[in-house]
Amino acid sequence: MVVEGLAKSYGQLHALDGVSFEVARGEVFALLGPNGAGKTTTIEILEGFRTRDTGRVEVLGFDPADKATSRQLREQMGVVLQELAVEPFLSVRRVLDRHAGFFPRPRPVDEVLHLVGLEDKAQKRVKTLSGGQQRRLDLALGIIGDPDLLILDEPTTGFDPSARRQAWELIGSFAERGTTVILTTHYLDEAEALASRVAVITGGRIVADGTPETLGGRDRGTCRIRFRLPPGTSADALPVAVERSDDGVIEISTDREIAVLATLTSWALDHQVALVNLTVERLTLEDAYLRLVGDAAGPDARDPA
Amino acid sequence: MSAFVVHGNFRGVRDLRLVGRQVYYEQLSFWLNPVAAIFTVGFSVIFLVLLGATGGRSHVGSLGGIRAIQYYVPGFVAYGVMSTCFNTLAVALVIRRETGLLKRMRLSPLPTWVILAGVTGSALVVSVAQVALLLLVGKFAYDVVLPQNIAALVVAVIIGVICFTALGIATSTLIPNQDSGGPIVSVVFFVLLFLSGLWYPLKAGSTLATISGYFPIRHLMLATFAPFDTRRGASAWDWHDILILAVWGMAAVFVAARRWRWAPHKD
Repeated sequence: MVVEGLAKSYGQLHALDGVSFEVARGEVFALLGPNGAGKTTTIEILEGFRTRDTGRVEVLGFDPADKATSRQLREQMGVVLQELAVEPFLSVRRVLDRHAGFFPRPRPVDEVLHLVGLEDKAQKRVKTLSGGQQRRLDLALGIIGDPDLLILDEPTTGFDPSARRQAWELIGSFAERGTTVILTTHYLDEAEALASRVAVITGGRIVADGTPETLGGRDRGTCRIRFRLPPGTSADALPVAVERSDDGVIEISTDREIAVLATLTSWALDHQVALVNLTVERLTLEDAYLRLVGDAAGPDARDPA
Repeated sequence: MSAFVVHGNFRGVRDLRLVGRQVYYEQLSFWLNPVAAIFTVGFSVIFLVLLGATGGRSHVGSLGGIRAIQYYVPGFVAYGVMSTCFNTLAVALVIRRETGLLKRMRLSPLPTWVILAGVTGSALVVSVAQVALLLLVGKFAYDVVLPQNIAALVVAVIIGVICFTALGIATSTLIPNQDSGGPIVSVVFFVLLFLSGLWYPLKAGSTLATISGYFPIRHLMLATFAPFDTRRGASAWDWHDILILAVWGMAAVFVAARRWRWAPHKD
């Protein structure tokens, strides 16, 4: 799947402003970003539900905006959106039977019921299901067509913790079978647990793209050491490699924080200077993410809508 | 017009089978919601029974002295077709759109025309069931003379179903949210029914007849009445009104195609 220079505006608002990324077959790709960042707009364009203003999009070899091939594309694609409704008066099994009929080679209904853990609810009317069970039915409808590509828009929002784990296992098991998965989420742990690649989107732009381990420079130093440069000293005089020097604040990223601290503190003792405001912090995915989103938004962050 | 552009290619017999499946599941959804089903199907029969019991034996001077029940049965045939295709469908489509059901449909591989054909086919099935019920009640409870020209009735009902299904779909696009759907549709429907002479025949050429002549409900009532008009017998074709219904149907298709949306308004 290829997305190149995707843009979409609603009047004055630039919902998407040059989004580009690629997803390989079998990859689990997470689009991570705050509310209003453009996640849902992006995936609705991938689904062919929304049109784009400019840019090139190719999904499973098709242009999703091409109505002549949209049926073929949708036969190979499963979609689980936020808050999709199901016919309230039909039983779970009938809803799945009905949906299975839309696809040329659907998965057996019993297998899908088992996968999402709704076997005992098969005969129950949809409207009697709890919120979490309805979301699992959503997931079931997304996979009934045995898709090559599964698109999930915030798949576990509103789930209790154990239901989330189950959903993760399920999504993980599809990925293992070679299904390409694209999901949006604003849960960092979800992206970390599921995704082989994460792109951070904010203000309609992709600001970082990498594995959960490398995102935002997490691999280039799991630890960040900061302190104020002692007066009368230049950054070059320090005994360690400085990553950034900003307004007298020194920043060092390292995965050997003990050694670096030892060198640094003995140097300070020898020279009888203080390391004012010395902090050592571990860069979590959350740190990386917040830095990315914060950097991109800047002081005049656009209003998320 | 982009909303109605056919998605995907036609797959012949497989697609026709899909339409059949859609009609089947539409029917399941309809009948498994008994309150709505009884409200839609039962009302026309209940009204017929009540009117038949109170005024069924009188004769209508303005219609050459034919029995009133001979006028009421086709009137409620028209009522049944309209309430099924227009009221129930318009409200149901608004609910489906605003709850995300239509969006899910659009994201499935199901072509748009199959979805719409399923809805229309299902409305036809419910309408035919209602017509059959009304004819049975009319025949056995009130001794109504059934049409000699049954084809004229069949054509009037089919054109009525298509016209009012299109009007129902078009109207659903004008209703902003699910709470206002029922009230808006009911007001439009009952005011027009009242104007159109369901309860008492209008004198041709009267002001009311002229006003209601601008709306499709009157024409469906006239088209279904023609075959029941014992003065006309086998020559009961009422092409004039059927043609007007067809024009209304086409206008509705035009509005629906322009305004149709799959996504809820909050999207």
